[in-house]
Amino acid sequence: MFEHVLSVIIFLPILAGLLLLASPASRMVARSTGLFISLATLVLSLDLYFGFQSTGHLEFVEYVPWIKSLGISYHLGIDGISLFILMAGSVLLPMVYLVFRTREKGYYANLLIVQGAMAGAVCAADMVLFYVFWEIMLLPVFFMLGLYGGPKRLPATLKITIYTIAGSLLMLTALIYLGVSYHAQFNEWNFSISEMARLNLTGEVAAVAFFGFMIAFAIKIPLFPFHTWLPDAYTEAPTSATFVLSAIMAKIGVYGVIRFVVPVFDETFARFAILLAYSGVIGMMYCGIAAITQKDFKRMLAFSSASHMGVIALGVFCMNMQALTGSIYQIVAHATSTGVLFLFAGILEERTNTRTIDDLGGIAAKAPVFALYFAIAMLASVGLPGTSGFIGEFMIILGAIKFNVVIGVLAGTTLIVGVCYMLWMFQRVFYEKTSTASENFKDLTLVEGLTFLPVILLIIVMGIYPHPFLSKITPTTALQFPQQTPVVAQAPVSNAQVSGLTFEQK
Amino acid sequence: MEQSATYLGLIPLFPLLGAVVIGLLHVFTCNRYKLSEKFYGLLACVGPVLSFVLALKVLFALKALPPESRYLTHNAFTWFSVGDLHINMGFLADPLSCLMMLFVTLIGTLIHVYSIGYMGGDKNYGKFFAYMNLFLGSMLVLVLGDGPVVMFVGWEGVGLCSYLLIGYYSEDRENVLAGNKAFIVNRIGDLGFVLGLAFLFWAIGAQGFDYISLKANVHMLEPAIALTVCLLLFVGATGKSAQIPLYVWLPDAMAGPTPVSALIHAATMVTAGVYMVARFSFLYAHVELAGTIIAWVGILTALLAAIFGMFQDDIKKILAYSTVSQLGYMFAGVGVAAYSAGIFHVFTHAFFKALLFLGAGSVIYALHHEQNIWKMGGLKTKMPKTYITMVIGALALAGCPPFSGFFSKDEILYSALATGHYGIWLIGVFVAGMTAYYTFRMIFVVFHGEPRDHHAYEHAQESPAVMTVPLIILAIGAVFAGFLNFPGVLTISHWLEPSLTEHHHSSAFLQIIAILASIAAFAVGLKIAYGKFGHGAQEPEFKGFADFAYHKFYVDEFYNTVIVQPYKAIGTAIWKTIEPNVTDSPVKGAARLYMVVGAAFKVLQVGYVRVYAIYMVVGLSLMSLFLSQSLN
Amino acid sequence: MIHNYLFLSVILFCLGIVGVISRRNVFTVFMSIELMLNAANLAFIAFSRVHESMDGHVLAMMVMAVAAAEAALALAVVILLHKHKGKLDTNVFSLLKG
Repeated sequence: MFEHVLSVIIFLPILAGLLLLASPASRMVARSTGLFISLATLVLSLDLYFGFQSTGHLEFVEYVPWIKSLGISYHLGIDGISLFILMAGSVLLPMVYLVFRTREKGYYANLLIVQGAMAGAVCAADMVLFYVFWEIMLLPVFFMLGLYGGPKRLPATLKITIYTIAGSLLMLTALIYLGVSYHAQFNEWNFSISEMARLNLTGEVAAVAFFGFMIAFAIKIPLFPFHTWLPDAYTEAPTSATFVLSAIMAKIGVYGVIRFVVPVFDETFARFAILLAYSGVIGMMYCGIAAITQKDFKRMLAFSSASHMGVIALGVFCMNMQALTGSIYQIVAHATSTGVLFLFAGILEERTNTRTIDDLGGIAAKAPVFALYFAIAMLASVGLPGTSGFIGEFMIILGAIKFNVVIGVLAGTTLIVGVCYMLWMFQRVFYEKTSTASENFKDLTLVEGLTFLPVILLIIVMGIYPHPFLSKITPTTALQFPQQTPVVAQAPVSNAQVSGLTFEQK
Repeated sequence: MEQSATYLGLIPLFPLLGAVVIGLLHVFTCNRYKLSEKFYGLLACVGPVLSFVLALKVLFALKALPPESRYLTHNAFTWFSVGDLHINMGFLADPLSCLMMLFVTLIGTLIHVYSIGYMGGDKNYGKFFAYMNLFLGSMLVLVLGDGPVVMFVGWEGVGLCSYLLIGYYSEDRENVLAGNKAFIVNRIGDLGFVLGLAFLFWAIGAQGFDYISLKANVHMLEPAIALTVCLLLFVGATGKSAQIPLYVWLPDAMAGPTPVSALIHAATMVTAGVYMVARFSFLYAHVELAGTIIAWVGILTALLAAIFGMFQDDIKKILAYSTVSQLGYMFAGVGVAAYSAGIFHVFTHAFFKALLFLGAGSVIYALHHEQNIWKMGGLKTKMPKTYITMVIGALALAGCPPFSGFFSKDEILYSALATGHYGIWLIGVFVAGMTAYYTFRMIFVVFHGEPRDHHAYEHAQESPAVMTVPLIILAIGAVFAGFLNFPGVLTISHWLEPSLTEHHHSSAFLQIIAILASIAAFAVGLKIAYGKFGHGAQEPEFKGFADFAYHKFYVDEFYNTVIVQPYKAIGTAIWKTIEPNVTDSPVKGAARLYMVVGAAFKVLQVGYVRVYAIYMVVGLSLMSLFLSQSLN
Repeated sequence: MIHNYLFLSVILFCLGIVGVISRRNVFTVFMSIELMLNAANLAFIAFSRVHESMDGHVLAMMVMAVAAAEAALALAVVILLHKHKGKLDTNVFSLLKG
């Protein structure tokens, strides 16, 4: 495969989106262009996937010095971790163009731009480049939410935009601090991640910089208590924007932690990991419990998404190989389950014109194919073995127990919390008697059914035969947190001591 | 040296494939044109029958092997391998799993055949059989898995099918709520199970997380960890096998169709917990305290459920509480380290309880879905085959020699006595008497005396052959299964030896005491039941303790008040109060601060040019002062 | 000796500032501005005399030219302001109020 795949994957959608905006295309043309470009990106990504060699280091590297005097370069590359986030985006985004009714041209243009920007953020191997794409990512979301969202979209848009940018500014400050420290230590300017990992950072200033990064990522993930923008933003956004936010953009927050914070701030991270882990677990329970009383199913799914992201974030903070691999696998699984559930919610909303759960009922009798797909996605979301959701969740709980028993037990409660609201919603929407709103619910058309079929099959395949996927992830995670020799016949040792012994000293 | 047997993977695969095929056929055709019921029925029975045939093949293959290496394994593929965690999708057929497989597939096939008749006319016929096949496939994965994680796949799978089948008549909210309850309570148990697995893995799992490796490494477990693992795994078992405190889903599960109650909630799924303890006998045998706790929880559950069963008026609820009670016995058996006794009771219980449920289904079918025993009566002349087979089942359940229930229950009680658990033994004998009482209360009220509802009685008739033939086959099993483990000969116990870590006690004296006590308890219970109900009794009014027991000690209401309502209340509190005022307050506060500071600065913008001129002058003066200072 | 002229220049400048700030009539404000400009001119000439160069004179000429141009523009603005509001009181024009 040709060398510059990554650049094409990043810039093709962005350019196409900008062109669409500038041109006087009609809505159908815009939609078809969007579909075509995202399918082209999918083909390229699949090529990338099959050409990936799982060496554990960055592959498909592109390096062009950009601002030489400051050591900033156009440095791209993917490894096992970013590969899956990229794939999740490429595989799932074409669905969005196929299933809803045709919207305005700007809608599709923004979707394209955000696809390219997210790919850029994930592939960037230079911190400043990452920051650039991180900021670019937010703009199309701002427009989509503000222009095409629901009735209460304006406060939601302002909140998400300003909150995220505030976090990003903190990250920028920390970034500059890192650059300056690097310059002080090594007498040259360089913002490449692999170089930054060599930095030795101690002391209180390092802790402040650490929090600068962490707060920016915590807002994106979202990690409790920085999640308050989420319910409004997800509810008022048009469904594809919610899908993009939930399925992919949130994961870039987690990715940022894994890629930037863990290698560079290793000691500070180990110091604060327990606090962050509690944050993740409490967020999971908080959002999960809040989900059960929601009357609007999109809002309920929003809380569900936040709850699951808490678990995924926890996997990173546990600092061992199983939890991290589980976290990455769960990233893809979450995109396939909760992301797809959002799309189904969009279909429900389009056909019944209501989002209130109590207005609906008996849809399973009217639309069995839709109910079947929805059930499979829902079961993946609660982590039923045999679906994609189980493997990641299991490994995260396993890793969490190793890290800290209390956190592990609390993390395990996701098994119960997740089921409660999902079954309650499923029962009221799909079972029971048909209501007036769902009287004429049509089942999925052939196009829609075929669109969702690959993802549904993917859910099942990822659950039954995850080995080929995992074997691409594990070389990278093994390098991050090498597996120490099995601690036989001893109670789990507190992590802070253990990590001090086994962290890669850079 | 173990043998590899690739066909092991096919045993769960056939029913699972059947489920997929039937399910897809149903989903795509149910709203357009309906396929014939016979077609679905036939298709549905293919999987279970093939699995049964393969199970027999496994039996013969195992018999041909010497006892020390009596197991077959098959590693289908690497499921996931991350660092030290290496899990295969593998299957293990040893005497224990072979026994479980045999009766699961046999009874499963019989119940599928029965359902062809029972579910006739239902509009979601195909869906029912898809779920049933899915259940059977999951149960076989559970039983055949070569390690705890594969078992967990089956474990959750049967939980899912239980949810789907309990809520099968999904138009009614009650039924779906019962399904939800089952799934959620099961999940609470599963949390314990997963935590137990996690502790087990980090302690000894790195050298292999399958039963054979774990058994080899179990001596390296620290006692505290071993106890924790045992208890956590048992929490999972209390959920799946309906013991205290997680038994509350099982009586509600009777909302599902009767064949479902027979298969899932009597014969197979609920026994998964007992199977799990027996499977981990190498672990539980090391930790006697865990075993004692299990035995006590079991026998107390048996007592509690028997008390409830004595006062219920719904025929299926009586049988449901009976199941919980008998499961308690099984746990008492495996708790006192008499694993083979517990499994033997699983085996016999499967036959007679499935028989009783199917017979109850036959009665319900005949009376057009009437389930209240106080509206039945005098049916023995109208439904002779059902009557005779149910009496056989009742005799087996009550522990009357020489039926199967007597031998299995007696083995458990004898083991309790022989290991010195006198308290458990006494309670066990008492419960045996209560079992006889409530079982025959049901039989007498339903079949003897005068009919209480003449209209329903007129229309009642014996069920079609497709329903009565399975009853007869099960009755044969209920009669003769006991002889497979006759005291002294103990065929099944010896067969199970390679799989279990067990000590056998032999004390003829205690054996005789146990037998006599069991027979006495049976006789007393039967006599009291005959005295009260043998000659046509009327529906009693309950007062005091009886009323309290009729309402199941208000446990469900208690759980609702203490767990469910507070959970929802916290949810509402978070949504309406905490989120807007507490977690969001820093964000809102920041926004307000910005506005306040802006308002403060607004004061300076007066709009009068003269004031701006003053600002300019002041600013310039300060700047020049500053400059002149710095130039110095 | 030059300081007398500088003192005078400073006093005239301050008088001009006070005039700009405290007078309400637009014409009076402009007269005060002219006064400030002339004070600056005086300072330039005084320094030119001290350093015995012509730079100060040149600058003073420039200032006078600029003052004349500015006066023309200012009077045009005054006419427009009068057309707009009908009054020539600086307090009346407060659209910039925040």
